[in-house]
Amino acid sequence: MPRDTGLPPGTLMMLVLRVLMRQPLHGYAIAQRIRQVSADELTVEEGSLYPALQKLLVKGWVKAEWRESETGRQVREYRITAGGRRQLEAEIAEYRRTTNAIGLLLDRA
Amino acid sequence: MIIGEWVRRLNYLLRRRAMEEELRREMETHRAMMDEPRRFGNALRLRDEARDAWGWRWLDDVMQDTRVAFRTLRRSPGFTLTAVSTLAFGIGVNSGMFSLVNGLLLRPLYGQPEQVLGVYGRSTTPSREYRAISYPNYLDLQAGTTVTFADLAAFSTIFVGLDAGDGVRRTLASGVTANYFQAFHSPLALGRPFTAEEERPRANAAVAIVSYRLWEHHGADPAILGRTVRINGEPFAVIGVAARGFTGVGVPGPDVWLPLGAPTASGQNAARALDPRAVHELTVVGRLRPGTPIESVAPALATVARRLEEAFPAINSGYTIEMATPSRLLFMPGPGSGAITALLALVLMIMPAIVLLVACLNLTDLLLARGHTRRQELAIRSSLGGARWRLTRQLLTEGLVLAFAGGAIGLLLSTWATGTLVASVRPVLPVDVSLPDLGVDWRVLIGTIAFSVAASLIFSAWPAWVLTGRASPTDLARRPGDGGWRSRGFTFANGLVIGQVALSLLLIVSGGLFLMSALRAATAEPGFRLDGGLLAEIDPSLAGYDEARGRETYRALVDRLQTLPGVEAVTVGSRLPFSGFGDSRAVAQAGADAQAKSVDAVFNVVGRDYARTLGLRMLAGRDFIEAELSPGSSEPVAIVDDALARELWPGEGALGRLIQFRDAEEKDAGRVMRVVGVIPAVKHSLGTPRPFPHVYVPLGQRYESAMTLQIRIADAGAERAMLATVARVAREVDERVPVTRLETWRDHLDGGLEIWIYRAGARIFSAFAAVALLLAVIGVYGVKSYVVSRRTREFGVRIATGADPRALLWRVLWEGGRVTAVGIGIGLLLALGAGQLLQGFLYGVSGIEPTVLLIAPLILLASSLIASFVPALRATRVDPTVALRSE
Repeated sequence: MPRDTGLPPGTLMMLVLRVLMRQPLHGYAIAQRIRQVSADELTVEEGSLYPALQKLLVKGWVKAEWRESETGRQVREYRITAGGRRQLEAEIAEYRRTTNAIGLLLDRA
Repeated sequence: MIIGEWVRRLNYLLRRRAMEEELRREMETHRAMMDEPRRFGNALRLRDEARDAWGWRWLDDVMQDTRVAFRTLRRSPGFTLTAVSTLAFGIGVNSGMFSLVNGLLLRPLYGQPEQVLGVYGRSTTPSREYRAISYPNYLDLQAGTTVTFADLAAFSTIFVGLDAGDGVRRTLASGVTANYFQAFHSPLALGRPFTAEEERPRANAAVAIVSYRLWEHHGADPAILGRTVRINGEPFAVIGVAARGFTGVGVPGPDVWLPLGAPTASGQNAARALDPRAVHELTVVGRLRPGTPIESVAPALATVARRLEEAFPAINSGYTIEMATPSRLLFMPGPGSGAITALLALVLMIMPAIVLLVACLNLTDLLLARGHTRRQELAIRSSLGGARWRLTRQLLTEGLVLAFAGGAIGLLLSTWATGTLVASVRPVLPVDVSLPDLGVDWRVLIGTIAFSVAASLIFSAWPAWVLTGRASPTDLARRPGDGGWRSRGFTFANGLVIGQVALSLLLIVSGGLFLMSALRAATAEPGFRLDGGLLAEIDPSLAGYDEARGRETYRALVDRLQTLPGVEAVTVGSRLPFSGFGDSRAVAQAGADAQAKSVDAVFNVVGRDYARTLGLRMLAGRDFIEAELSPGSSEPVAIVDDALARELWPGEGALGRLIQFRDAEEKDAGRVMRVVGVIPAVKHSLGTPRPFPHVYVPLGQRYESAMTLQIRIADAGAERAMLATVARVAREVDERVPVTRLETWRDHLDGGLEIWIYRAGARIFSAFAAVALLLAVIGVYGVKSYVVSRRTREFGVRIATGADPRALLWRVLWEGGRVTAVGIGIGLLLALGAGQLLQGFLYGVSGIEPTVLLIAPLILLASSLIASFVPALRATRVDPTVALRSE
């Protein structure tokens, strides 16, 4: 079901939440944003993005709303919720811990 | 958080169309914004994957599978009809038996059953035997355990003659304490419970509460309260109607309840009062106070028991009081056990389970045969990307749909069948009883669903796996009905037939054993002459006669009947063998101390010529004489049978010995009787393999108002004519005294409850066997037809090359017969094992009965040959040109 994004599993949801922390965005903009910020290192396929967004919605970590964009298009904009923020913090902490541990291992083993 | 997620998910399910539309629009926008919209993947597939996040994929799949299953089954109505009706039978017999088991053994009979305990006296000697509790002991027990029990109730179970305006019927009754209905948490449907005053022994409280069934039987008239019914000839006022289906502590339940203070609340026709402390007649049940720890009960009971022992050592020493689960089966006195009930339920469920297994094997056959012709369809699906698991699931869903359809019809069938069975018991029961509700409840419903699911797994799992495994793209090119993996499929089908034949044989042999047992029971020799014996049961008390007047009536009747031409002997007796119950006494040598040996013997009050009327000869001594038939005769005497004599005085003569009854009631207490005669023992019931000891006392020593006139006539062929004469004479002698029963000895034996039990066993098992045989025949026919149709070309070639059609016929029959023979061999082994298990339920038949073991396989072999014959005939009629052209 999840397609190969080159990302460790579960990380995509964290990235999406993190991007939404700054401002509400629609799906296409989320994908663009992730690519830009990561200096083209990370690309998100639509096939992974939309299942992740649906999952975030079901979990209640984001809310979606239809809005008119600057270009006059109807877009569905995602906004992070309080629950989402908590989840993001937890996931970042967890991620840091894991990478730290891996880093230590790679350095010293 | 979790709840919020489920609410959102549910929202997706309920508003899925809107949600899907939203997703579609969103993705459309996304695509439009992309520089290269073509790089956006397959939108449909992406939406599908995104939707998976909602978590309803499985439901979609189930719905989809079900829809496809319905469509597929609709396309082959013949197959569907066969499968559903096979399952309806298979599941129906299980649901039916289960609803009986459920109503009689499993379903709680009253509210909060876990709070209800049985309380029993129990010997502290190594025998550890249980003892009922006397009324004074009960009162002390009640007073001493008020902390433990919210209600401590007591009851005794008795038989009464009940006349509710439509003739006297022998009826199961219960004499109960005032708090009885409250203890069972069973409020009356109508009226009021008994009062403490009515409970007091000798209160002479002529009030009764009738069962819901009885009330319904009499038109469910709300005005029944205050109406009079006659119980043992006495008028009783109806003050209440028990709750629907209420049976008290066990099954079957009484049809009428009396207060302990009612004139006949204890002992049939006996004024055996309850107030002496030594009369241990009551079963005690307690309803625990809510929150009482169960561990505190036994010490509380033991404390009271010790106090009773100290206060009344003569009566209570050597006995303690214990708690136990009350028995659910009325005729098993003493405590019951959950293990026995569970075992009984299991035993009863085994036979129907085997029928269902045979039905499942049949369906496996059908599905395999059909699956082979469906190979093309499966191959197409598989080549279109259907994963094996997906196809397997599809086939399993089809099985489940079939099983549920069969289960639903089976449940309807079973409701009808159990209703019929219960209705067929009532007329043959020697007593009126109330039964718990045997209808469908949630347990039966869940049971039926479980049977259906189990069945569908058994019959469809293997075909589903095998068929989808073999669906390969090369099958696409094949046409339905082509030959293929014959060898494996063929052997497997043969294995199924072998299984069916073996299990069917098991059921047929079991049915045969029960049938033989019913036949033997019907022709059982009771130990006395049946031919030319007539019975007329009368009860002068029903005409309001007292003892003196009743005695006159009996004397007049016996005298008149004796003068009838053709009559050899006439007597009168209080107990009738094979009537389902007896009244027994512990007989001991007179003067012996309490520890000396006593023998339980059926107690019978008789007139003169009892032995002669039954066709028995005096072994020693004399018959009763005229003087002993009237009260106040000189010396108390008794006649015993050789079974009693052997037990009390092994190897010695019984004549002239003095005996007394250990547990005598007031009238007979301490009376020492001289044995004046010995007669051969007779059986008292079919269930006892050996004759039961009897003790007979003359009419003069004891009066009972309901007795049976027994008449022996010379010409057995004139029995029927004589019955009419007896009825006429009885009317002439005294038309106010009703004859409550008039029949020949043979009819009496034939209409008895015990015979009914054996017959019911035979009927049920034969029905199981018949269903199994039918299913096996269908199975053999199905497999044979299938095999022949697949070998059309082979037969065509054989015929074209000059094979003799008759040889071909024999060949096909022989192949079928071989398979059946293997099944029969295995089945015989199973049947031998089953015979050992069933032995205890059989009458006069051993578990290894040559007749049955010979006939049952022959029936099966013949049926299976007939089932193979039609397909075999078809094989010989194959037109070679058509067969070859089909290639």
